Amino acid sequence: MFTQFSTWDIVRNLLEGGKWTLALTLIAFVLGGIAGLLVLFARIAGSRLLQTASKAYIEVFQGTPLLMQLFIVFFGLSLAGVDVSPWVAAAIGLTLFTSAYLAEIWRGCVESVSKGQWEASASLAMRYTEQMRYVILPQALRIAIPPTVGFSVQVVKGTAVASIIGFAELTKTGSMLANATFQPFMVFGFVALGYFFLCYPLSLYAKHLERKFHVAR
Amino acid sequence: MSLVKIAGLHKHFGSNHVLKGIDLEIAEGEVVAIIGRSGSGKSTLLRTINGLESIDDGEIVVDGATLHAGDKDLRPLRLKVGMVFQQFNLFPHLTAGENVMLAPTVVKKTPRAEAMEIARKMMAKVGLAEKFDSYPDQLSGGQQQRVAIARALAMNPRVLLCDEITSALDPELVNEVLSVVKQLAAEGMTLVMVTHEMRFAREVGDKLVFMYQGRVHEAGPPRELFANPQTEELASFVGSIN
Repeated sequence: MFTQFSTWDIVRNLLEGGKWTLALTLIAFVLGGIAGLLVLFARIAGSRLLQTASKAYIEVFQGTPLLMQLFIVFFGLSLAGVDVSPWVAAAIGLTLFTSAYLAEIWRGCVESVSKGQWEASASLAMRYTEQMRYVILPQALRIAIPPTVGFSVQVVKGTAVASIIGFAELTKTGSMLANATFQPFMVFGFVALGYFFLCYPLSLYAKHLERKFHVAR
Repeated sequence: MSLVKIAGLHKHFGSNHVLKGIDLEIAEGEVVAIIGRSGSGKSTLLRTINGLESIDDGEIVVDGATLHAGDKDLRPLRLKVGMVFQQFNLFPHLTAGENVMLAPTVVKKTPRAEAMEIARKMMAKVGLAEKFDSYPDQLSGGQQQRVAIARALAMNPRVLLCDEITSALDPELVNEVLSVVKQLAAEGMTLVMVTHEMRFAREVGDKLVFMYQGRVHEAGPPRELFANPQTEELASFVGSIN
């Protein structure tokens, strides 16, 4: 006997999945932001070794599909004897992915601060760390806000691949519902709407910030 | 005893030998104007004096702080030498007053209240006391450059380097900046300036240095050099700008 699903049942279940999509996004973004900051500092540090290592890190995560990264974290960790849930694997994978991209975005922002700012602060006898803290980073931060918010849209959409390793976020919930209801078109229509309602305000906000900072400069 | 002593200075940019053995002494309170065509090495020479350009050979001594090729710690030298740039390079995220206060608080660890007092004094000195809380983008080019001068002076440098500080200004704003420089000169500040303002160099300068192809080609009192150039190159340079 088949259970009958009302449209409301579908939406209710999808909202439940959507909550996990949101949670995964937030975790990936916050932890990825912190890790990204560390990678950024390594990337722009004076040390050759740190520069090369961070550059390799960024290249690896930008040069391979997110799906492969998740597989490697999920299956790699189990192979190493660490039993991770799909939830933890997805969080780790997306955090690494996010950190690599944010580090690269932010590096661009730091480098867009003009050479004259470095020279002026250097001529005032400030050391590298003082120049960074008081002159360069405050300016880079302003420049970084719009592209960072813009990138958060990519993270939201990126969480969809976590469905492959069985994490019941929005997409996975959708495919389970599609199998149970035989109404894939309607179900995935709702899934797409869900992503859109998460992403669209973020894009709008990013555009707004871009315009605001553009005018302010 | 000279305040600034440059000896046997060489600098290469790749295969381009831009400074080919510079010897120059600057006495305390002296105003030195460095002139020459673009590419003669005049800006590079100025920028070596506070370590913004590394040197390949030779020595720079400013009031006991020395710089040699390969030196990493430039702070002792930079504490003695202030610099003002063609493009002002004010910190756009800070107010004029904060621009002036930043280095004393961060580098010299001057207490905030004291740094504020120094900053107010310096802003008054350049005639901008009332612009203390304005942001750089609310100021005219001439005002920004005067804030930049105040910012350099707040560190109490022994010598102030000026790198074409009026070149980026609209003509009507040049004088307000030059008059601040003139006042500094009158107060006995040691100044080294790369400039295209020949009239100003003649009027305020104690020594004129004519750079040609990476060397000091002629040097001496401005009036004499302008009136009676000893080399063909200086004569043609003076002729081309007058």
